[in-house]
Amino acid sequence: MSPRERARIVVLLAPATLFLGVFFLGPLVIIAVYSLLTPGLYGGVEWTFYHWNFGRIFGWADGIMEVFQPVYLRILLRSLSFGLLTVLVCLTLCYPVAFWIARLPQRWRMLFLFLITLPFFASLIVRLYAWLLILKPSGPLGMAFTALGMEPPELLYSPAAVILGMVYIFIPFMFLPLFAAVDNLDRALVEASADLGATPFQTFRKIIVPQTLPGIAGGSVIVFIPAVGNFIVPDILGGANGLMIGNLVEQQFLSSRNWPFGSALAMVIMGVVLVVLVTFTSRAAKAGAVR
Amino acid sequence: MKRPLLALPLALLASAASAETLALYNWGDYINPEVMTRFTAETGIEVTLDTYSSNEEMLAKIQAGATGYDIVFPSVWMQDIMVKLGLLHETRINEHPDFSRINPAFMRSKEDPDSSFCLPYAWGTVGVFYNEDITGPINGWADFFAIPERTGAKISLLDDMREVLGMGLIMTGHSVNSTDPAEIQAAADYVISQRGKVTAFTYESMALMTSGDLAAAHFFVGGHVFFLDMPNIKYVIPVEGATMYQENVCVLKDAPHKEAAQRFLEFYLQPEIAALNVSQQFNGTPNIPANQLTPDFIKNNPNVNVPDATLARLQIFEDLGAAIRVYDRAWSAIKTAQ
Repeated sequence: MSPRERARIVVLLAPATLFLGVFFLGPLVIIAVYSLLTPGLYGGVEWTFYHWNFGRIFGWADGIMEVFQPVYLRILLRSLSFGLLTVLVCLTLCYPVAFWIARLPQRWRMLFLFLITLPFFASLIVRLYAWLLILKPSGPLGMAFTALGMEPPELLYSPAAVILGMVYIFIPFMFLPLFAAVDNLDRALVEASADLGATPFQTFRKIIVPQTLPGIAGGSVIVFIPAVGNFIVPDILGGANGLMIGNLVEQQFLSSRNWPFGSALAMVIMGVVLVVLVTFTSRAAKAGAVR
Repeated sequence: MKRPLLALPLALLASAASAETLALYNWGDYINPEVMTRFTAETGIEVTLDTYSSNEEMLAKIQAGATGYDIVFPSVWMQDIMVKLGLLHETRINEHPDFSRINPAFMRSKEDPDSSFCLPYAWGTVGVFYNEDITGPINGWADFFAIPERTGAKISLLDDMREVLGMGLIMTGHSVNSTDPAEIQAAADYVISQRGKVTAFTYESMALMTSGDLAAAHFFVGGHVFFLDMPNIKYVIPVEGATMYQENVCVLKDAPHKEAAQRFLEFYLQPEIAALNVSQQFNGTPNIPANQLTPDFIKNNPNVNVPDATLARLQIFEDLGAAIRVYDRAWSAIKTAQ
């Protein structure tokens, strides 16, 4: 690489590096540092080392100022399973639809892609309130059940409502990468597989799934991450019955004035999500290599 | 050094835009828009309004160096903290001749006992709204928690750490400002014992009361505004005891428009203005003559214009200091109880 080329690369990469450094790495470092400091009496921090923030979560505590409570691990586990469930439901809904839309004529495809991203045009809060109105027992859903002579299900303020809300807001995140992968699928391979005597299930498992795996993995990751840390959906639709770890972080900053503990919880979410993703992607990579 | 560097360009910008503006930072829906319109009409000063949803949110933003705001509306205990932290400007509003209209009982701040910083703004109670058609008459918390079993209807509590634990402390016979871990634990145990009857911890209960999905809800007196045409929805300040809140009008030390802010405080001393605010907000005012100027449905409503006997069973929150951590743990335990 000539010095000129090198200089050009440095110049081209500088804005992105600077941007990520200031707006991504900077806040991250602040959270990491705060998670190991003493909480200030009125919010903020005192600059002395304090490991009890993590002790409260994982099981060591002095028992006087800080007490270990297993609720944090339990809520973390629940958040992970809510995130996973959201991914699975989104995937199940989006996968067949992606195939269907990929086969449509060009102008119809654009229309449907537009329709799927349409909800982004309205505020998230407004859309979640709309769900509150739909799910309440006297709402359209409840009325439909009553009209059919059935007892309306107790959906609002339940974990199911939280999953439903999250699936609703994250569907486009799953759909778009999935659609890109399905659209690029080499149909000749599918036909060849059938010609060579593979059953439809074999074709699906050996040809279609591996080829669309990047889309499945990409969609799953970008749904899973924000779903695990979500707090607005459980806030509006869960009513504390679908409490997630994000709500506990929010509580630390907005009512308990314990920024270091909130930071510690945030670091734990990040750590756990990272571990899950690394395991997942290395498995996915292996599966890809086998193909 | 961070703050002045940031403050300077912002202040310059603000003053360049217009010499006569005033930036309010208030709770959502906590001022009658008419009051701001009247202020602009009277003084020519343009008013902007930003909102927050908790004292802590406001404090965190001000501490983080949010500049450009002139006036905030902290609860009394938060005012105490802000005075201690040196965030407020001393307005000497108590030296204004019209200050005599303020009922001295509402000069509750420990750090500002003679109101030389802030002007007492408004106060209200936190009680129970109930749909009488479903629940029949309700007197207090015991009646409230009996509703689900008695009628099969649903009830909700506020999604608020201090309010819910405060109710638990009241029901177990302690101060809502207790810092004794055993008392706080007892309060949490009481709430957890009622947890199964509570459909949700939420602030969004008023819409569900209107639609009939909730039969009763723990809420602020200001909720009256939703039920103007629904006489079957009633409000009660529980007999066992309840909490009250009071917010004061404070000028920030970094306020870019201190003169305009001072004029707003003086403007709000007028009884007609305080009454105008109350008539839309359904809360109480510390301005004595203003209480005679409110509409009849407020003046004659003992739940809004509270008689002394009821006042005696109300408690107001104070800052908990480090004991807030005991509350935080109890609150996490309540919210995650199965």
